Amino acid sequence: MEQKLRQEAKALLEQNKVDWIIGFEPGSLKFTATPLITRDKNDTERLIINPFIVNNLADFLTGIKGRVGIVAKGCDSRSIISLIQDNKIVREDVVILAVPCPGLIDLVKIERLAGKDRDELDDISRDGDKVTVTVDGQKKEFAINQTLFDHCLACELPTPQEYDILLGEPGPPAPELEVSGQNIAKLKEALPAERWEFWQNEFSRCIRCYACRNACPACFCQRCFVEETEPQWVMPVPRWQDNLIFQIIRNIHVAGRCTDCGECERVCPVNIPLRSLAREMYGIVDELFSFKSGMDKEALPLMAHYEQEEAEDLFK
Amino acid sequence: MAQQSEWEPKLLGFLCRWCSYAGADLAGTSRKKYPANIRAIKVPCSSRVDSLLIIKALRLGFDGVLVSGCHPGDCHYLTGNYRARRRIAITKKFLEYLGVEPERLQASWVSASEGGKFAEVVTEVTKGLKEVGPNQLFSERKLDGTKTKAGS
Repeated sequence: MEQKLRQEAKALLEQNKVDWIIGFEPGSLKFTATPLITRDKNDTERLIINPFIVNNLADFLTGIKGRVGIVAKGCDSRSIISLIQDNKIVREDVVILAVPCPGLIDLVKIERLAGKDRDELDDISRDGDKVTVTVDGQKKEFAINQTLFDHCLACELPTPQEYDILLGEPGPPAPELEVSGQNIAKLKEALPAERWEFWQNEFSRCIRCYACRNACPACFCQRCFVEETEPQWVMPVPRWQDNLIFQIIRNIHVAGRCTDCGECERVCPVNIPLRSLAREMYGIVDELFSFKSGMDKEALPLMAHYEQEEAEDLFK
Repeated sequence: MAQQSEWEPKLLGFLCRWCSYAGADLAGTSRKKYPANIRAIKVPCSSRVDSLLIIKALRLGFDGVLVSGCHPGDCHYLTGNYRARRRIAITKKFLEYLGVEPERLQASWVSASEGGKFAEVVTEVTKGLKEVGPNQLFSERKLDGTKTKAGS
């Protein structure tokens, strides 16, 4: 798969079909991959595909001028489609190099399972439904659904629907919705006041670094409402009230664009369970309007469209 | 408990200029009784009401927010209230998930000829707010778990 990607990427640049290639190269730390954005055909030799290509590369598309060849997992492809729906990018300017994705390995989960820091691990390899972690020469086996990201366990589209070049054979989706939705289900059982208190505690940790916003392909505003000063919607000091308002509005803004790629939660430096917010909004949009973002490039964006009769039970 | 009975909820109403605001006027001119808890803001259309305005109102200590516009299909701008409906629906559901009592964000369709309905809606919403009590969502918590003044 990697070889094919390198050949195709090189050919795209050589034949001048694209100006840029966006993909992954090995990261500077163990078990990591770093986004690679290049115009140089020799750089394509560094492109990789492995279970650690976690970033949603669609995030870079809105900042790049020219035609782009982009490596896309299922979730990335949905974000790309969502950007096309919003007229942020043109389909013809993007060459989608589709990666059939069997799920991404969450290093935090591996660390917890192995009881070791990622630096102390010698190897992590996946074979079908088993993940083998080698520590000090000893092999430990774990079931795949213990090691994948929560959002991967809820994946609806492992292989991109919309692509130009398919790298490898599409595999079956392996959804483990129950495991993935555990945190949300637990929270929903709690009383409203308890839920509010939970979020209050979570967001008192928030340092408003905006990593969630910056990593989110659906968050593409040139100027974010938090930076507006007239009126000043949220105070610059990261107090929990304003942190929470920021996140509420962010989720409302990306409703119908969020594809549940889980990037917000992954990048959060203080481990706020942001995906449970995003996932809930994803569910609300689906439940009320039967809308799934990034599935159909011809569909109108959620907020640019309406039905004659919907959601009436919420209105007096 | 004496304080409880004195407390009156503050309700912020965003009323559409073409229907609900006129409906509120009609309620007044036809001498319908409704609680004085509502502070009305005239907006050009219910779709003018950004979710930010709703949340900012709660942040500033309003006990509830009512958004009211023309009936679906009757929008002065043809499609404004359909768009408002989508936006308010997701805002309402999302706030509920976070733990905001559903009574705090209410929406209704009131036409210019429905003075009576306006009075009913405001009465009902105010009653709901009295049941859920003062808005302390954004009030600062002390370490012992007690709350200080709302909106501080």
